[in-house]
Amino acid sequence: MKRYFAVLLGILTAIGGFVDIGDLVTNAQVGARLGTSLVWVVVVGVVGICVFAEMSGRIAAVSHRATFDLVRERLGPRMGFLNLVGSMLVTLLTFIAEIGGVALALQLVSSVHHLLIVPFVAVAVWIVLWRARFSSIENVLGLMGLALIAFAVALWQLGPDWGELATGLSPAEKPDAESWATYAFFGVALFGAAMTPYEVFFFSSGGVEERWTEKDIGVMRANVFIGFPLGGILSVAIAACAATVFLPAGVTVETLGQVGLPVAIGLGKIGLAVVVLGFFAATFGAACETGLSTGYSLAQYFGFPWGKYVRPREAAGFHIILLVVTVTAAGVLLTGVDPIMVTEISVVFSAIALPLTYFPILVVANDPDYLGEHVNGRVANTLGVVYLVVIAVAALAAIPLMIVTSMGQG
Amino acid sequence: MVSLADRDGYDVGLHLLDRQIIGADDRLVGKVDDVELVLDDDGALVPTALLVGLPALLPRFGRRLGGGLARAHRLVREAAADQELPLVVDFDLVEDVSSEVRLSEPAPGLLHRMAHERAADPRRCRVGDLLGLPVRCAALPRRSKVLDLRMTGAPGRPGEHRVVALLVGPGRPGALFGYDRSSEPGPAVVAALIGWLHRHARVVDLGPAVDIDTDAGVVRIGAEASLAPLRG
Repeated sequence: MKRYFAVLLGILTAIGGFVDIGDLVTNAQVGARLGTSLVWVVVVGVVGICVFAEMSGRIAAVSHRATFDLVRERLGPRMGFLNLVGSMLVTLLTFIAEIGGVALALQLVSSVHHLLIVPFVAVAVWIVLWRARFSSIENVLGLMGLALIAFAVALWQLGPDWGELATGLSPAEKPDAESWATYAFFGVALFGAAMTPYEVFFFSSGGVEERWTEKDIGVMRANVFIGFPLGGILSVAIAACAATVFLPAGVTVETLGQVGLPVAIGLGKIGLAVVVLGFFAATFGAACETGLSTGYSLAQYFGFPWGKYVRPREAAGFHIILLVVTVTAAGVLLTGVDPIMVTEISVVFSAIALPLTYFPILVVANDPDYLGEHVNGRVANTLGVVYLVVIAVAALAAIPLMIVTSMGQG
Repeated sequence: MVSLADRDGYDVGLHLLDRQIIGADDRLVGKVDDVELVLDDDGALVPTALLVGLPALLPRFGRRLGGGLARAHRLVREAAADQELPLVVDFDLVEDVSSEVRLSEPAPGLLHRMAHERAADPRRCRVGDLLGLPVRCAALPRRSKVLDLRMTGAPGRPGEHRVVALLVGPGRPGALFGYDRSSEPGPAVVAALIGWLHRHARVVDLGPAVDIDTDAGVVRIGAEASLAPLRG
């Protein structure tokens, strides 16, 4: 019974933890401008994150190696360092965006300007990273994040023309007002948001921290293969809500309040309250994950003790990094930069950093030195290679598309 | 996990460098940032220590970038007198090399700073200095380099570890990603691509025909040396 409960809890937190500020903003923007014609990208992205999260989870369970250990072991110190710098920048950008997202969520409730809230959020995040137990962070915030299911309920209450939504799934149904370049740009952004590298850093490091063994592979797979796709359905619900409310009116999404507006229309005040709670939990949870990921990556690359299970005195370097990135993130936000813009940039740069992270995972997942009998099967390898190509294309296309479309404005 | 005992030798770059060092008490000691080798009187290359810390890691970034980073590190750590020297773990303590390097003693107090005399000893060199050295050999393409060092050794028997062969060929050290070692290498497409990129790479046994000249920064391979193709 306890085991089933653990599986259920894992799946629920995976659903709640899947959605972060990048998914919230990008999906709502895409829904408002392009309807449901990019839903297929979310599906491709979710399958991709499942493939690579399962590989990295398996490696963590069998050989107790987290992702950045593998990056350095397989790419060597130079390429590994390039990767470290790239991933750190992207993860830091995401971290800034998440803290900004928490502040924006609290602004929706309190009407206090988010700049005044940012320092308090930063302190709260740091205290949680310093004091809270790993499992409580994951479980409490993951379960609260489930409040975002309100988007699915609101979509049903909004009573859209389901036939129209379904027809809109085809890329051919792209609204004529938008160019194909804009379509491709938002495709890459959605892909980056779904496959952000920090998800595997955090997932595999968490597995090492919680001392997964070969026996835990089953539970890990259930979390990945059930939790992530259900989280993906939440993403689609956000896009569909925006498509129903904003697309006909020709409104674009520029604030977090607008992301939640369809829920307020569909479910009223209570719905709005629930969804704001969801925003808070999803962004706060992701802020903890990205913050920890920066510490994990640096510590794993340079080889000093890390993690929440090691006493802070022994993992001093790790905790100093957490403090420094939190202060940096708060400092960047206090310059008055728009957190939504930081989010948009972070998802595009995620897409660029993807190949460097996922290639070493695929190589090591085939190495019997690490995995013994648990090396990749044929399905995982085929998908892995196909996704490597897709990821490379997305990474190469990201910058040109960003310039051509002026970050999707054109 | 496959341990050293089940494997027919191992490659320093692939199996040893950058791996985690774990003490007998399961605590992380650090990473293998470099490996120190000694040129024996009989011409054998024997590993003597694992080197840990930025002074060991930074030179591996290459001459220009590594040199710059090492200078920057000295500036930051000026307070420490022995800042330029890495920490040392004696190779005799290595118990097994699997996906981690396991030691026979607990972590605390294990690391000690390298002595100045030892660092200046001309017979000692680092694996990081050997990897990437240009190779002069009539039978190989001109841009060939040292890609990896192949070692033999048995766990728990100190002194047995030694370098027996060099992997040489065009390309970059580490870019084989281990595809030369495993019998059923990973995604067939990736394995085929990497195999094709390294089609000129060869294994050459150390012997009188192979001259590793660390002063001139070059490895000369005579015509009588036997060049074997990579496995797999």
